[in-house]
Amino acid sequence: MSDASGSRGLLKWIDERYQISPLLEFVRHKEVPLGAHPILWYYVGGTTLFFFAVQILSGLLLLVYYQPGETTSYESIRYLTTKVPFGWLVRSVHCWSAHLMIISLVTHMLSTMLLKAYRPPRELTWVTGFALFALALGFGFSGYLLPWNELAFFATAVGTDSVKSVPLLGDWLLNVLRGGPDVTINTLYRFFALHICVLPIAAFGIIGVHLLFVQRQGMALPVGESEAPRGMRFFPNFALRDLLLWLICLIALSALALFFPYGAGIPGFEWELGQKADPLAPAFPGIKPEWYFLWIYQLLKEFPPHLLGIEGPQLCLVVVNVLVAIWALVPWLDRSARAEKPSAGFTDLGVSAILFLAFLTLKAWDIGGGGGADGQLPDPAAVARNSAWILAALTVAITLVRVSFFHHRWFILSGAALLHAVLHGIGGVQYLAAGAIAATLAAVAIGFLSIRARRLPPFAGGNP
Amino acid sequence: MAESRTSSPATRRSVLNLLLTMGGLGWLASVLYPVISYLRPLPMQGPSGPVGLTRAEIGKIERDKFAIIPVGTRRVLVFEDSSGELHALDAKCTHEGCTVRYVSGESLIWCACHNGRFDLEGHVLGGPPPRPLARHAVQRQADGGIMVAVSKA
Repeated sequence: MSDASGSRGLLKWIDERYQISPLLEFVRHKEVPLGAHPILWYYVGGTTLFFFAVQILSGLLLLVYYQPGETTSYESIRYLTTKVPFGWLVRSVHCWSAHLMIISLVTHMLSTMLLKAYRPPRELTWVTGFALFALALGFGFSGYLLPWNELAFFATAVGTDSVKSVPLLGDWLLNVLRGGPDVTINTLYRFFALHICVLPIAAFGIIGVHLLFVQRQGMALPVGESEAPRGMRFFPNFALRDLLLWLICLIALSALALFFPYGAGIPGFEWELGQKADPLAPAFPGIKPEWYFLWIYQLLKEFPPHLLGIEGPQLCLVVVNVLVAIWALVPWLDRSARAEKPSAGFTDLGVSAILFLAFLTLKAWDIGGGGGADGQLPDPAAVARNSAWILAALTVAITLVRVSFFHHRWFILSGAALLHAVLHGIGGVQYLAAGAIAATLAAVAIGFLSIRARRLPPFAGGNP
Repeated sequence: MAESRTSSPATRRSVLNLLLTMGGLGWLASVLYPVISYLRPLPMQGPSGPVGLTRAEIGKIERDKFAIIPVGTRRVLVFEDSSGELHALDAKCTHEGCTVRYVSGESLIWCACHNGRFDLEGHVLGGPPPRPLARHAVQRQADGGIMVAVSKA
């Protein structure tokens, strides 16, 4: 009996018992649209899933040696990385894959945002994707504490302290999250349970729903188009390309884990074990969280002690929550895309979000601020100035690409993000005041455009 | 017809639906209450009265000019200023809860996490902390020992 007839026989055997023919028929006819969007964007969701699978496998291997406990957490990780054969490699793969997963996820989310793939009928795909992004940040935050080293201790102290600002429930939530009023080994036990059990179960469930939505609805087409110029069969053509990219990701991950076992050497992107956590030691100079939390870390620094009658950290939390809520609700806020019309403003919103986060991250890295030696602090004015120049160069580069390749003409929000950085970094205006000026000018410009649009015939140009 | 329906007495189905909803909510509460109580940590125990510093802690103050010591459930920064006077302040920054340090060269208390700065009395000098650090009583004993008592606030 040949292999082909053997596998056909096996399929028949399964089909007789579980009726899988409709599923096979679906896979046989499933197509990926071509010629609509650059096809690269269709792969980044898959690479995120690939890195998540690596996380699960490498996490299981770490669990063989890791022992949570005041006298065992740090020691077991040190033993793992110094004594266990290839223990350093397993930890390095886990850490690198975590960062690459976040990079892939952010790329996936930004491409979905800029291509308007969130519009009806895919609102819930966006929402489940947003929930998965929140879970990924939760994975990063909870996993960070597990080695019980100095950096992890303070990152967790700062990260969890924000919870106390939640109205009414703040203190209760903080106690439940930390297992007491302060970060102690009880916090580690709770984070361990979250990291290896609660979050993975939630992630499996939501990934399942997210993939189900994607399979049922297929890939999104550009705004205003109802049919792709042509299609590619999902199986085997697209699936094999997916597999090839995963192989490339695996090779890249292996190379990075082998040659840079302790990370990229950038603050927030390195995982040297360092000193064991000591709750009675002061925070050390230059302490920074993971790179994807750096913007919140910097924003917390920018808020004064009190503003508008509220404590700075509380107001900062409100601002962060409002920004995150806007992002989560984009499918409902973008009314033009809902009506299959170009929504230039929301494309620019995506770009301005990148610029806003980039400026804060550059500042958090203390770029060009000097300091470091003998406990000298970096010069904040120099850091702000250098960050503003870099952001200006980045904005010019992005704008040139947008104008030349995508014929974009709507730049109010990205212009406001640039103005914010320039006023603060080069003009020396306080960060929040510069933000208020830029936001007001952007609001006036949008208001003016909207009044003009009502008076004139409908505007057909703008960004897609 | 519509009027008779709105004014009709409760049917067997509506009563059963009500009972089922109440039963479901009761069941949910009976599950959630123990789980929430279980997750809430017990109050931490610790000495409430004055605490004497250990030899190691006193040695640390002599060497580094400051030490952070546990008093009950709090962390207290005990430091000696340039005139030799002892001070005790809460070691937890009022901004985001990092642990502060005494910088003897600049005579200030500094939090490395977000660059919060306080004077030796705990008042905010600069940076984002919204409140001063709580002050605690500290006293040097005749035998060289140091006692710290935390304030209630």
